[in-house]
Amino acid sequence: MALVQQIQLQGDSGARGSARRIAGSPVLRVVGRRLLSAIPVLIGVTFLTFAVMSTLPNDTAQAILGLQATPGQVAALNHTLGLDQPFWLQYWHWLVKVLHGNLGTTLEGGSVNHELAVHLPATLELLAYALVVSLLLAIIMAVLAARKPNGIMDRISLAISMLGLSTAPYAFAFLLIVVFAVKLPWFPVISTSLGSTPVSWFKALTLPAAAIGFGLFAIYTRLLRADIVEQMQREDYIVTAKAKGLAPWRVLIKHALRNSLFTLITVIGLNLGGLVGAVAIIETVFQVPGIGNDLLTGIGNHDLPLIEGIVLVFALVTVLGNLLADLAYAVLDPRIRYGSSTS
Amino acid sequence: MAVPLPETLATPAPPSLPSLVSSRHLRAQRLGRTLRFWVPAGFLILMLGMCFLWPLVYKLPSPTNGNIIYNNEAPFSPGHWLGTNQLGVDQFSQIVYGGQVAFEVSAATTAIGMVIGCTIGVVAGYAGGWVDAVLSRVLDVLIAFPALVLALVIAEGLGPSEIHVIIALSVFAIPAFGRVSRGATIVVRGLPFMTAARLAGTRGWRIIARHVLPNIMPGIVTFSLLGIGIVIILEGALDFLGYGIPLPKASWGSMIAQGQQIMTAQPEYVLIPSLFLLVTVVSLNMLGDALRERWGVR
Repeated sequence: MALVQQIQLQGDSGARGSARRIAGSPVLRVVGRRLLSAIPVLIGVTFLTFAVMSTLPNDTAQAILGLQATPGQVAALNHTLGLDQPFWLQYWHWLVKVLHGNLGTTLEGGSVNHELAVHLPATLELLAYALVVSLLLAIIMAVLAARKPNGIMDRISLAISMLGLSTAPYAFAFLLIVVFAVKLPWFPVISTSLGSTPVSWFKALTLPAAAIGFGLFAIYTRLLRADIVEQMQREDYIVTAKAKGLAPWRVLIKHALRNSLFTLITVIGLNLGGLVGAVAIIETVFQVPGIGNDLLTGIGNHDLPLIEGIVLVFALVTVLGNLLADLAYAVLDPRIRYGSSTS
Repeated sequence: MAVPLPETLATPAPPSLPSLVSSRHLRAQRLGRTLRFWVPAGFLILMLGMCFLWPLVYKLPSPTNGNIIYNNEAPFSPGHWLGTNQLGVDQFSQIVYGGQVAFEVSAATTAIGMVIGCTIGVVAGYAGGWVDAVLSRVLDVLIAFPALVLALVIAEGLGPSEIHVIIALSVFAIPAFGRVSRGATIVVRGLPFMTAARLAGTRGWRIIARHVLPNIMPGIVTFSLLGIGIVIILEGALDFLGYGIPLPKASWGSMIAQGQQIMTAQPEYVLIPSLFLLVTVVSLNMLGDALRERWGVR
């Protein structure tokens, strides 16, 4: 939505909406460059998974057929599954299929597309819930802390974020379960189904989201607080704003926070890839029916097509997250928006 | 190697004014700085001593075999001051031996990540051009890669063992160090003394060894303290999922996983290893912060 507005703005401000101007729009250029540079990353990530999975000792066919299978049967199944081919050939076949929109079949015989379609929403909802809540809380906390460096709020925020940074999510998840699901029966212990009402959704996903979000909250708070404090102490425009007689909270929020958001946005984009691990573990702890849970099952079964599909989705999420980060830059920074940036 | 000369004639930022604070205030500040360094450092020394020296001095009960008659003893019971688990295995010796594993794995992983990652990062940052472009793309792929997935795949494929955990987690550490050292190298490369060194005819590798490395080291060391903490948590995660240190060998992650089964009745089985994990990682992070403050690293 914002993108469309940017492009329209671009057209109005410059050469009256000429097509060339839109094609040369800096925002579109950013999107284009990002999408192009995503292709080698996506290929690299999936190829690496293939290479690692194929070079490691594996006995997929044996696992499917059971211990009674003769070597001949194992070899035959390996041949039908295409596992006797060199891995780059297997990768090529997989890639061709993916470009046709088919992610292959899992070892259990189901289609990977179907598996992802059923289980992806829960994971995305969980991720979005954790991200949005931790981000909002982190912004509030960081602004309160940065208002008075070394003040009481600053110390509290430092202590909380230090805890969040050092807590193992799986251990924290158990603490949450003991306190908020067992001692106080507010939330279910496991979240196998998200239900259909917003209330049941909220109940099922709150504890998992809290387990994932605490660490994120800590990272964001530390980063944002440090950046705002630095802006407030160093930057000339803060002095100008103060000299104009703006209220202190206005300087803090409209000037310092707005500029500090850039660093934060970059880090959010970069962190998305690393989040996958936390999501997978937390989904297993709470039995959330998401693809993180599938991923661990897939790794246990040595289910290459399933793992590849999930890795591809997570890599895509990371790439799109970084793209959104770049677009948010464009929205926040008029220099990028109007293409007069010299850097 | 065409390295663009930096803008040496840019106006320097005006020096910040000296602050008008009393000597008492200054002394309090200095004390705070000392405490911020030595409290976490002391905790870490304590933990290391507990894990590596204690079992040499005092004979601990076996961390793998227990007497089932003395199972489920509460903390502070005689002979087992942290109690015993469902099988009668002493909790404290499990913590001690699990801690050894955690420290060994994290130290080894961080060392591997630092050496390989920094080599890649410094070369990429210093050389620039196509070398940088290629190496950065490789790092990009590794960073975009969900590293825990790769770690799990490797650990699962190679089978559980301490060495395999180290290999698996190095995948995580190498790109992180690579990225940090590349960024730091690029900053250092733009400084005036680098121009001077180049103009004096110093060779590339000598510049790296004498000028680049000493200047990026503070950043790398503080980052590696943070990294050790993350690796300890990840090692626990692999154990927790059953892909880490093979049972019955003790590890903090598998203690948490085992405690989970009777968590509602006796939460201490989860809480005790979690607490040791937390204290260790908090100390590492605080030490990292203190060093960062001391060395003025951003």
